[in-house]
Amino acid sequence: MREVEARAYRIAVMNIRDRDEALDVVQDAMIRLVRRYAARPSAEWRPLFYRILQNRIRDVQRRRIVRSRVLSFFGGTASEEEHDPIAEAPAARGDDPLEQVTAGDAMRALERALTELPVRQRQAFTLRNFEGLDVAQTAVAMSCTEGSVKTHYSRAVHRLREMLAEFGEELAHE
Amino acid sequence: MSDENDLKEFERTTKRLFDDSVAEIDAATRSRLTQARHRALDEVKTQRADGWRWTLVPAGTLAATALVGWFIIVNPPPPPGLQSDSLSDLEILLAEEDLEMLDEEIDFYGWLEEQPEFTNADDGIG
Repeated sequence: MREVEARAYRIAVMNIRDRDEALDVVQDAMIRLVRRYAARPSAEWRPLFYRILQNRIRDVQRRRIVRSRVLSFFGGTASEEEHDPIAEAPAARGDDPLEQVTAGDAMRALERALTELPVRQRQAFTLRNFEGLDVAQTAVAMSCTEGSVKTHYSRAVHRLREMLAEFGEELAHE
Repeated sequence: MSDENDLKEFERTTKRLFDDSVAEIDAATRSRLTQARHRALDEVKTQRADGWRWTLVPAGTLAATALVGWFIIVNPPPPPGLQSDSLSDLEILLAEEDLEMLDEEIDFYGWLEEQPEFTNADDGIG
């Protein structure tokens, strides 16, 4: 668990863009893992943990979408109601020309590119590339077939490489 | 082949970027993560404690049964007619109505009631 928690936290932050909420999500995922799967073989824990984590991240994102729609329906904004991490997140690439010029942080560029991917592609890339899960483990974590994992991952890699083409030099020198 | 190599290199680079970003997580956050892990492990302990609590229920029942058995052996039941109310109550409490049997024989009881020797029973005596 110790090996995984920091990486899980980093993935949660990338998806949720709120450190406190990311910590809550990781803790909740650990607790749920223990409650439901403590009796399962330890080899299964990692993909199961990531399945729970991905679900919890989706829950947070869904809640935000609902909250945002409800608030917009009543003519308000999320920031009026409470702290909104999405609104405070760095602007997407292209919104700020100065940032484009000064962007030297390849990881930030990668994170932003990831947010533009469809959810399943982002999950496949995160689990396969960042976490190093194999295809079978990723399929467990994503609750889908191994074939789907391969498709999502391949599309994600190609799309990310296209999006990060202009960061190619920086990525190469990282 | 070159494109494939480029893709592999791209994958290696993104992996390295992520690993570096994990390594840069500050000590305060790592400490909070450790606390979160401990809270999760506490859940395991609580679960196990709950498990023991559940095993105590049948254990308690067994102990109570043994105690009752011992009490009956040490204090044998009184002769018929002098049985204590408490033992009768226990028997009643433990008894289950055999409703299925009642249902099967209800036709018989209906037939029995219609028989002349039963309906005119008082006539013979008086």
